[in-house]
Amino acid sequence: MPMIEVKNLSKSFGALEVLRDVSFQVEKGDVVAVIGSSGSGKSTLLRCLIDLEAVKCGTIIIDGRALCRDGVYAPAREKKAIVLNMGMVFQHFNLYPHLTVLKNLLLAPRLVKGEKGDAPVERAMALLKKVGLDTRAGEMPGRLSGGQKQRVAIARALMMNPDILLFDEPTSALDPELTGEVLSVMRDLAKERMTMLVVTHEMGFARDVANRVIFMDGGRILEEGPPEELFNAPKQERTKAFLSKTSA
Amino acid sequence: MDLSYVARILPALLNGALTTLALFALVLPLSLPLGFLITLCASCRFKPVKWLAQAYIFIMRGTPLMLQLFFFYFGLPFIPVIGPYLRLTSFSAAALSFTLNYAAYFAEIFRGGLLSIDKGQYEVSHVLGLTSFQTMTRVIIPQMIRVTLPSIGNEAITLVKDTALVASIALPEILHYAKGIVTRDFTTTPFIVAAFIYLLITFIVTVLFKFVERKVNYE
Repeated sequence: MPMIEVKNLSKSFGALEVLRDVSFQVEKGDVVAVIGSSGSGKSTLLRCLIDLEAVKCGTIIIDGRALCRDGVYAPAREKKAIVLNMGMVFQHFNLYPHLTVLKNLLLAPRLVKGEKGDAPVERAMALLKKVGLDTRAGEMPGRLSGGQKQRVAIARALMMNPDILLFDEPTSALDPELTGEVLSVMRDLAKERMTMLVVTHEMGFARDVANRVIFMDGGRILEEGPPEELFNAPKQERTKAFLSKTSA
Repeated sequence: MDLSYVARILPALLNGALTTLALFALVLPLSLPLGFLITLCASCRFKPVKWLAQAYIFIMRGTPLMLQLFFFYFGLPFIPVIGPYLRLTSFSAAALSFTLNYAAYFAEIFRGGLLSIDKGQYEVSHVLGLTSFQTMTRVIIPQMIRVTLPSIGNEAITLVKDTALVASIALPEILHYAKGIVTRDFTTTPFIVAAFIYLLITFIVTVLFKFVERKVNYE
């Protein structure tokens, strides 16, 4: 059973069609990179999967449970349970600026899952250690660099023990010298067989870490395949044109 | 200025200051939550509620506070049928009109505060599974308070000074007593003493707000 199954997804903002009949699957442990020029619909696709955008028609099945079937959404309670099975990392981190790093990690487990006592704190510290920031637990997010913020955001998403992580251009807002630390955390997660769907402009990451690459253009999936195939021998002219521009 | 004269008139003026402090202590904590409620109504998706809240803000900001004060003190009893039951004491009328008036201003301040919060804060809260109520109370309001606190402090100081208006409905406060003594003694000293009392109160309010601002600053 695939972890993510999307069938015939369509979505428009007013007259603008941003997703046109998109279908794909992600297996457990897959790391899928979604590439394409801006406006191709890749971020919207990710946002639809986690219920930040409502789709017009199509089906989204997450780990066997339908978030949306033929454009009809699951009841609120079921929807929430499905969304909670996924974590999302945003381009602009979206850390809570009024809470310390540690409290950023603890807020949702405490409020949503009712976790109490030392257990969530220990888990939070372990996750911060994993992303190399255990010494910054008491810091306010405003005092961290972009790369550190994004690593905290990843740890915060992991606090909810999701089976799937969605990354929406996680390194696009970072200075080039800071992307490495974030990508290395993502690489570690990939090694642990976390199911990941990554919208990215980092072709190096897509090539090295992803086991599948999806190329989107004009709201459609134009081409998909293993990175070595898609990068070395793209079938579509649009893919070739896009790759020649980005690999420059 | 004769200090013994000041000492003689001071008790009456300080008595007036009690009215100012009582109004302030009542109006500020009542109008802030009411203002936030009006902000929420003004951004409600149910149109009639939204229009009602916007009309409320328009009327309360668009008419003089003194007129509103007169309305609640002198005007209400003239309303047919229920009017006779709406005879308020001058203090209640003052507290009511100030609360309703300041709530409209706070509503606009809070609206600005909410607009300043990135929509990513709502999105990440949704993704993490927080309910709308939890998102509001644990994520949005704490950030909104920090953004709006300087403006709220500004309004609080205006409130202190606006209490002088209640002299017009014969509620004795600082300025009322000062004016009485000036007329009696033919000296401007009471006005100067009154000014110092106002300055002392606004100084304390300023310090308090600076303290709270430092407390909620998270940069």
